[in-house]
Amino acid sequence: MVKFLSKQVHLPYVGPVGVWVMIFVFIPIGVAVYLSFVQAGPFGRIIHEFTLENYQALFTKERLMILSRSLHYAVVTNIICLLVGYPLAYWIVRNGGRFKLLLLGLMIVPSWISQLLRLYALRRLAGDPGIINSILLGLGVISDPLKMLFNPTAVVFGLIYVWMPFMMLPIYASLEGLDQSLLEASVDLGATPFKRFFTVTLPLTKGGVFAGTILCLIPAFGDWLSPLVLGGDRVLMAGSLVRLYFIRVGNFPLGAAVAVILTAAVLLMVYVFIKLGGEEAVERLV
Amino acid sequence: MKSGKIADIIQRLGVILVYIVLWMPLIILVVMSFSNNAIGLRWQGFTLQWYVQVLNTSKAMEALKNSLFISAVATVVSTIGGTLGAYGLYKYKFRGRGALRMSVLLPITIPYVVTAATLLIFFTQVVRIPLGYISIIIAHITFSAPLAVFIVLGRMARVDWTLEEASADLGADKLTTWRKIIAPVLLPAIMISAALIFPWSFNDFTITYFVAGVGTMTLPIYIFSLMQYSMTPVVINAISSIFVILPIIGLLLVTFLQRKQTA
Repeated sequence: MVKFLSKQVHLPYVGPVGVWVMIFVFIPIGVAVYLSFVQAGPFGRIIHEFTLENYQALFTKERLMILSRSLHYAVVTNIICLLVGYPLAYWIVRNGGRFKLLLLGLMIVPSWISQLLRLYALRRLAGDPGIINSILLGLGVISDPLKMLFNPTAVVFGLIYVWMPFMMLPIYASLEGLDQSLLEASVDLGATPFKRFFTVTLPLTKGGVFAGTILCLIPAFGDWLSPLVLGGDRVLMAGSLVRLYFIRVGNFPLGAAVAVILTAAVLLMVYVFIKLGGEEAVERLV
Repeated sequence: MKSGKIADIIQRLGVILVYIVLWMPLIILVVMSFSNNAIGLRWQGFTLQWYVQVLNTSKAMEALKNSLFISAVATVVSTIGGTLGAYGLYKYKFRGRGALRMSVLLPITIPYVVTAATLLIFFTQVVRIPLGYISIIIAHITFSAPLAVFIVLGRMARVDWTLEEASADLGADKLTTWRKIIAPVLLPAIMISAALIFPWSFNDFTITYFVAGVGTMTLPIYIFSLMQYSMTPVVINAISSIFVILPIIGLLLVTFLQRKQTA
């Protein structure tokens, strides 16, 4: 026993956080899985009898559409964030010069500002009444206020706006850590800039791209604030359903089923991205 | 040559455009908080009345106090737990290390709503912790302790460990070594982790919204209630200034510490 304990020198260190995660992450997820298979009674009560009803209820056309819409919006968000974030990071690393830190800081700071407030700032700008409308009306450019909110475009724009820094920053870190001599070697060997980018730079920074994807696609997939603040709860996503069932309706088993599906989908995605992106994808996550 | 120059200008404009889109809504939000216009849509002359109004709203001040308290507790607890965890993961090879690392990564990667909803289930169906202060603090630590593990872990490799070995060789016990050597050496990493976690916790809306129950307001929850019912939305602009200024202070702090660490 003493010998066994003396081998467990790591326990005082990893023990607390390990136990915490076990109690407050794994057990709650386990309970959610259980709840998703039992019945909801009246007044938010739970009837502990096995049922598949909750999952069946999600397989109606309308709700399946909400789930697939989440995936669709998240993928579009991720692609746009990648197409903007990668060149942006690339440009700053190469041409940033003495503004490098400033440009980086200006990207980091918004990621630390409450998501709720950032979306609210967009709503104040694009809403009706809103700042853009009041300016355009004042100038006489338009006679009726533009309806820019409460549609899918507004929701996706909100997702891009909020999650963009989380895509750009790991890519930046990965580009910054790139060994310049490899790039020089490829030039010496006669590679065109185009070829160099696709055969050297991009493959070497794929860890950053996948880390960025984990940090952008997955939160966008589970987002519920952009649909709420910019979609006015008219364009629902999977996260909106979680809020609907847990907070508004109080149907925990049905809400748990949505949460379980979300978790399963996310774990699958993370697994695939880490497999594709390698160890660097994990390291660049924070 | 000429086309290269045009391409260069286009790239520059693109970069500037991204930053304008990113910052303009926030800048306008803050600027309008000084405008003498109750709905915050037009510039009608400088005023501080919305700030005065916020300072005189006891609910807002209460929410601010709650937020500061909750974030402070969450930051201290998760930074201590996270630093210990990171040290254990970095220093020791043990069975289940990879699994533990992945488990700690889990709460960071699953969406906030899922963490929030599963904790709500846990607090109401399993342990029956009354929703409020305690449940919010537990929920924040659940997300931020794993975050601290990875922030500190990422900086472990840059630390000079020779002093720790020397201290052990000279017969110092583990506690003394921690107090005299390890903690000071890890201090910049610990501070960076705290500087990242505090604003996260202070800003969090999703997790708090689910586990707060009724009655305990944090600042983001208060803002959300104003967004729905307020007659003078410009008050939100005034509160929002603190959310914009705080991260800028945090950034300056982290940059300073990072410099110190590499120096």
